[in-house]
Amino acid sequence: MRRNLPYAILTLAVLALTVVPIGAAVFLLGFVYGDSPCVMCWEQRAGMAIIALIGLFVLRYGPRPRYIGLAMLVGAYGTFMALRHTGLHAARDIGQGFSLEIAGAHTYTWALLIFWMSVVAMSALLMALKESDLAAGPRTLRPLEKLAMVVFLAVTAGNIVQAFASTGPPPFMGQGDPIRFSFHPKNWVWSLEEWQPAPISVRGRWAIGKPDVASVSTDPSAGPFAHLPELSVKERKPTTLPLRGTPTDLAYDAGADRFLLTTQNGVYIVDGSLTRVLRHTVVDPGFAVDLGRFAGAAFLDGATVMALGENKSYVILRENDRADAGKNFRFFLESFDKFDEVSRSRLGTVRARMMYVMSLAFDPATNSIYTATVPNAKVGRLVVSRFDRRDLTLSEEFAPTLAPESGLTFSGEKRSLDELYVTAAAVADGRIYAISAQGVLLTIDLASRSVVAAHAIRGLVRPTGIAIRAGDLYVIDDGGTVAVTDRPSS
Amino acid sequence: MEFLNFVLMFVTAWILLRQPEKERLAFRLLVASVVLMVVLFSIATRTALLPGINY
Repeated sequence: MRRNLPYAILTLAVLALTVVPIGAAVFLLGFVYGDSPCVMCWEQRAGMAIIALIGLFVLRYGPRPRYIGLAMLVGAYGTFMALRHTGLHAARDIGQGFSLEIAGAHTYTWALLIFWMSVVAMSALLMALKESDLAAGPRTLRPLEKLAMVVFLAVTAGNIVQAFASTGPPPFMGQGDPIRFSFHPKNWVWSLEEWQPAPISVRGRWAIGKPDVASVSTDPSAGPFAHLPELSVKERKPTTLPLRGTPTDLAYDAGADRFLLTTQNGVYIVDGSLTRVLRHTVVDPGFAVDLGRFAGAAFLDGATVMALGENKSYVILRENDRADAGKNFRFFLESFDKFDEVSRSRLGTVRARMMYVMSLAFDPATNSIYTATVPNAKVGRLVVSRFDRRDLTLSEEFAPTLAPESGLTFSGEKRSLDELYVTAAAVADGRIYAISAQGVLLTIDLASRSVVAAHAIRGLVRPTGIAIRAGDLYVIDDGGTVAVTDRPSS
Repeated sequence: MEFLNFVLMFVTAWILLRQPEKERLAFRLLVASVVLMVVLFSIATRTALLPGINY
């Protein structure tokens, strides 16, 4: 560019980038306050330095396309690096993060902003270019431009010193948890930890597939328990209800002798004989909250039902014979005038966070909603979560243990409750009755948070729902067959 | 290895200031810095290359 103003602006931008995030980081935060970058921060700092260096290339040789192209590539990659880094901490509790917070944001978040701004600046520069700006040969540097180069060299020299002390010469490289910077060699830690063998993965611990009941053996003998007593099925009845989809859960309302049955996105109120649909709707799973596939259902009171997705997102509906079909178009895909939508949101968990659920139960005695996790390839732990009905917020999570008085034992040292794929649950009299895909029925005492009994129910194929009706358990499978057994007394 | 990268950048900037006729060498060192940055970040994040969040 023969025009002085763009070069002056670029020089100031290079100086600002060099001095503020890079220079202040090494001289003030590093040498004075002892802050050492972690390995990801080092590469982000290198990225910013490279962008500043490319700015110097433009000052020296003019805005050649390969310089600006490379700057945009580095800016784009730097944005990715900062997003990858920020993703580790962004969802923590308020105020939490890694290492230094500056003016309300941590350094990796500032890096995200700086790289993004670099891409914007390069784009603006490209738009401002003219044919005549492309010159051959080096330019004569003006004083401010020479100053920018000298400042860059000084800041880079500072980084060389800090990098040598904090990360060491090759083959050593940066660390995940670096110790405080010191000029004394006895406090230097040079590590090869990043070179340790480790599997390469695109999503790491987040590579978790959706629940897959078909992958679980339906034989209770294949479950973790030794010598389970059996609960015999006293009645099996296939249902022929006109459902959109296959059954995913079941619940019972004793007050009106009705069942609640869900399919992947359908909500059905069915009569006590399970032969007639009294009212139904099919929820739009993609409106606002991603509900996914329904996996749990519960009556919250005589006119209010809750359907829960595998991802712990939920919808609460209230029966209304005069529901406004026009208003409800946004919520439902079918049958718009039988329910009103009360709310749609998500249950948040802690121990259960990296696991899906396939069950939902409501305990009116404690006004509590319960879910139980299903294991996956990354996290295998049976966690029961309890939520307060009033604000649908997590109140408690526990991993049930075997009650000593239950007499239950595992069939091997490495066997545990964590193997159980709980696909449905119901609560009565202070106990959760949880059925697993393996055909094992757990009785969990809520006061002691322990399994007080377990039974095998043979012949169940992919049970998806369980309901309690007086002294009986109704277990429905995804084929629509209901198996009725006695509710265990212990 | 970060130490090496900043040494590369220092040498590159020195060429720009003192030996500008060696533009080709300077650009190659610049590209080497970029590649080293990408390699080191990839090594550090190889167990989960993408951000650990819901998509």
